Amino acid sequence: MFRLNLKIALRNLWKNKGYTFINIAGLSVGMAGCILIYIFISYQLSFDQQYTNKDRIYRVVSYWKYSDGEEFQNGVPKPLAYAMRNDFSQLEEVAPLQRGGGVIQVMDEAGRVKMKTDETVFYTDLSFFKIFNYKWLAGTPEQSVTEPNTVAISRKTAIRYFGNWQQAIGKTIVFKQVNQLKVSGVFEDQPETSSNPVQIVLAYSGYKHRQLKEWGSVSSGSECYVLLKDGVKPADLSGTMQAFIKKYYSADSDVKESHFFQSLSDIHVDERYGNFAGKNTSMRDIYGLAAIGLLLLLTACINFINLATAQAIGRSKEVGIRKVIGGNRRELLTQFFTETITLSFFALLLACVITEAALPALSGLFEDQLSFSPVNQPALIGFMLLLVLFVGLLAGVYPAVVLSGFNPVLALKNKVNVGNSGGGSLRKVLVVVQFAITVVLIAGTLIILQQMKYMREKPLGFNSSAIAMAYLPNDSLSVSKFEIIKARVAALPGVSAVSLCSFGPSSSDNKTSNFSYNSSRDMDFMVNTKAGDEDYFKTFGLSVLAGRSLSKSDTLKELVINETLMRKLNIVKPEDAIGQHITLMGKKVPIVGVVKDFINKSLKEGISPIVLYNAKNSMSELAVKMDTRQISTLMLQIEAIWNSYYPNYVYSSSFLDDHIRAYYESEVIMGTLLKIFAGVIIFIAFMGLFGLISFVATQKTKELAIRKVLGATTVELVSMLNSSFIKLILLANLVAWPITYMLVSRWLSGYAYRIDLNIWPFMVAMIISLLITVLTVSLRTYQAAMANPVNALKNE
Amino acid sequence: MITLKQIEKYYTLKGAKSYVLRHIDADIQKGEFVSIMGPSGAGKSTLLNIIGMLDEPTYGSYKFMDQELSSLSERKRIEIYRNHIGFVFQAYHLIDEMTVEENIEVPLHYKNISSSERKSRVADLLDRFQMVAKKDLFPHQLSGGQQQLVGIARALAPQPLLILADEPTGNLQSAQALQIMDLFRQLNKDEGITIVQVTHSEANAAYGNRILNLVDGVVTNNS
Repeated sequence: MFRLNLKIALRNLWKNKGYTFINIAGLSVGMAGCILIYIFISYQLSFDQQYTNKDRIYRVVSYWKYSDGEEFQNGVPKPLAYAMRNDFSQLEEVAPLQRGGGVIQVMDEAGRVKMKTDETVFYTDLSFFKIFNYKWLAGTPEQSVTEPNTVAISRKTAIRYFGNWQQAIGKTIVFKQVNQLKVSGVFEDQPETSSNPVQIVLAYSGYKHRQLKEWGSVSSGSECYVLLKDGVKPADLSGTMQAFIKKYYSADSDVKESHFFQSLSDIHVDERYGNFAGKNTSMRDIYGLAAIGLLLLLTACINFINLATAQAIGRSKEVGIRKVIGGNRRELLTQFFTETITLSFFALLLACVITEAALPALSGLFEDQLSFSPVNQPALIGFMLLLVLFVGLLAGVYPAVVLSGFNPVLALKNKVNVGNSGGGSLRKVLVVVQFAITVVLIAGTLIILQQMKYMREKPLGFNSSAIAMAYLPNDSLSVSKFEIIKARVAALPGVSAVSLCSFGPSSSDNKTSNFSYNSSRDMDFMVNTKAGDEDYFKTFGLSVLAGRSLSKSDTLKELVINETLMRKLNIVKPEDAIGQHITLMGKKVPIVGVVKDFINKSLKEGISPIVLYNAKNSMSELAVKMDTRQISTLMLQIEAIWNSYYPNYVYSSSFLDDHIRAYYESEVIMGTLLKIFAGVIIFIAFMGLFGLISFVATQKTKELAIRKVLGATTVELVSMLNSSFIKLILLANLVAWPITYMLVSRWLSGYAYRIDLNIWPFMVAMIISLLITVLTVSLRTYQAAMANPVNALKNE
Repeated sequence: MITLKQIEKYYTLKGAKSYVLRHIDADIQKGEFVSIMGPSGAGKSTLLNIIGMLDEPTYGSYKFMDQELSSLSERKRIEIYRNHIGFVFQAYHLIDEMTVEENIEVPLHYKNISSSERKSRVADLLDRFQMVAKKDLFPHQLSGGQQQLVGIARALAPQPLLILADEPTGNLQSAQALQIMDLFRQLNKDEGITIVQVTHSEANAAYGNRILNLVDGVVTNNS
């Protein structure tokens, strides 16, 4: 029976080639979208899942509650790991993971430097490798991370340094000019989907830092991982944690700190805390994408249902015959499902081709290594089969139930009226739903693009164009060379200003500090500190509201504050701030100026309270404002000057503009995705509407002929057919607007600086949806209306 | 085999009953060949549909092989179609997407007959109706008479006891009509299949051994 059903299904599909094409085209595009989204989501959820103990591994993270906000951090105070090892009996292992970095030199046989690279290294101890089961190609963790003068490296690093990993063991590399480290272990590369891109591991016992015993300071470079004992839940640890916090933190501070155990699987998807890989995909984005995938599928299924019920009249005779010669309802249902599932299967094949073609673009957009190889991904095959079944059943169930429910006598006489049996009104509802989805996407996309444009064009309060930021090492020897480098770069033709600074006005690196104002007690909020020299204001085009900008100085002796800080300190007039004193970093210094507010982070966040000061050993970057036409030659010249003073360091530089653009990477990705998926959904809806109107036009051939004989013009006929659809589309707009409004308001509330919603995106969405409808309907009905009425009427 | 008692069929339109069939009493014995005759609108097809269980009487009792049918579930009724009744239609009603062979085979699928048995029965029927060469053609590639032969072959495939034919020759030319009627007589005589046909034509009615005359829903002559 199945073979016969399949054969009949194929013949039916072939007979109605037009409908089949529309169905398959719509479905395959929808399915391809779903498969792409599935690949992306499963890639995101596969982060850090390669470890045997993954369910028991947790990261300790920090959380602060301030009077006016809260802060999340992946880092913990440096002494925390070992304190926790003593105080928590429920933990099997506790390991610090400290990020560090520096120049590594690899020597050749003769002892000459053959390679010099700037590397990120990690300090940890044996516990880390008991928590995470790395595969060791040579050596053991015991040999590699227990002594300060040894190092373990990944396979890739070993190949980079020594040609192949087998030769690496026993070789020596020089770290930060002075530390001779013997390679005593080589481990397998961690996959791309790892939140800890560990390449070079040094013993934690060799880690030196002045804050090793400091509980009051947290750096995002110090993480701590724990392995829970079997059967222990993070909730079981809250009592011990309270005692732990009481023991190590002072109770009379305004700042309330606490620590949580974050599960390994959350590290990648919780964007509030960072991670060492710098890769985060928030659960919100994942849910958003999943929702879009579902909408795509729904829109395609709606086409399917609409076309199948529309075709039902043509199938009624066959249903009648089958019933009369003994087919019961169940067998008919099986037959119709065979048809829909066959069709979805073909759509899947085409979807695979589309997926394969679109995947490189998606990978590029996310800068991830996505792959589509069902053979190696059994879960993907499972997903695709489920997709076929889901689409086949969802799209088939309504037509199948309607068709199999026909009364055989009426069906044989072709007297079944699908419109009266509920199909007609259901079709209307489905068209409204489909176009409501389309309108939500069009309007939503327009608003998101508007917001992105707004962010791009919003004046930042400083000039960011054509400013290169070159890294500066800041050990005391290097600091002494700052002035000469600055002078030589400033003398280059085409350079208009040069400034030594800690960070640019806008930066993702921010340093915050406690401070006090007119009192000995610290304020209950932290201040963002930026060091800049006497040319900082000129280089970045900052404007002074009152007082003056920073003067030349080697140490902290005066401050410039921004307007936000001024307001937070309850100073009304900028002039009043001049001469007041602030105690910062243990020094009481006067305020000499107030700078006009500038955007110092992304536009999602508000402006921080900022102090600017001039102190040579806080500088870590050289900002160079240059003539845009000479950028490429100037960059080479700057690098040459830099290298002549710092031969042992590795030069790196970036442009401030790129830096600012990077804040909005996820918005750009979301915007692009929305544009694509909105386009896809418009396409699917258009196909569906075209199919539906074709059917209506065929069904109404006789009516049109009679009306024409009675004197209706072609235009009148076309507009008559248009009017019913236009009503549906207007209704869809009415449904879509409040939904869109709710969704985008929520999205926009995530931005401190946002556009005001106005009616235009909604109007544009309505106009686009109406235009598509009128175009589709007119295109198809014009043909029907132009036909000679005699041909339609003589068949009676 | 068939016992109809006081069968009535009416539609209620704005409170007024519009009768299609009134007080029909009829008995059809196994092995009979009965023709239902009457002018257009007399209720012939409705009566045949009721006998074939495609339609239900508003009132009255219908026994098929001593079973009261009005009390049967749809599932039971389908069991009876499958096993005992074959239909032949004026418009043939073959499934357009199926070949001749497949059309004949469909009812056997519904009876869950094994594949080899299906093949042999279909082959027998094709052979008997001399359609072997046409088994892979689709209905629209056949003449009307040939299509009706396929329709009859399909009705015979499940080896029914009763064949119900609604104007089986209504769409055919006279030569083809004769051939079909001869076939019916042969099936009735040689194989003992009970046949009930609806017809307009005296000549066709003469092939049967009994005529039920129906005028305005009432049996006027049962001879």
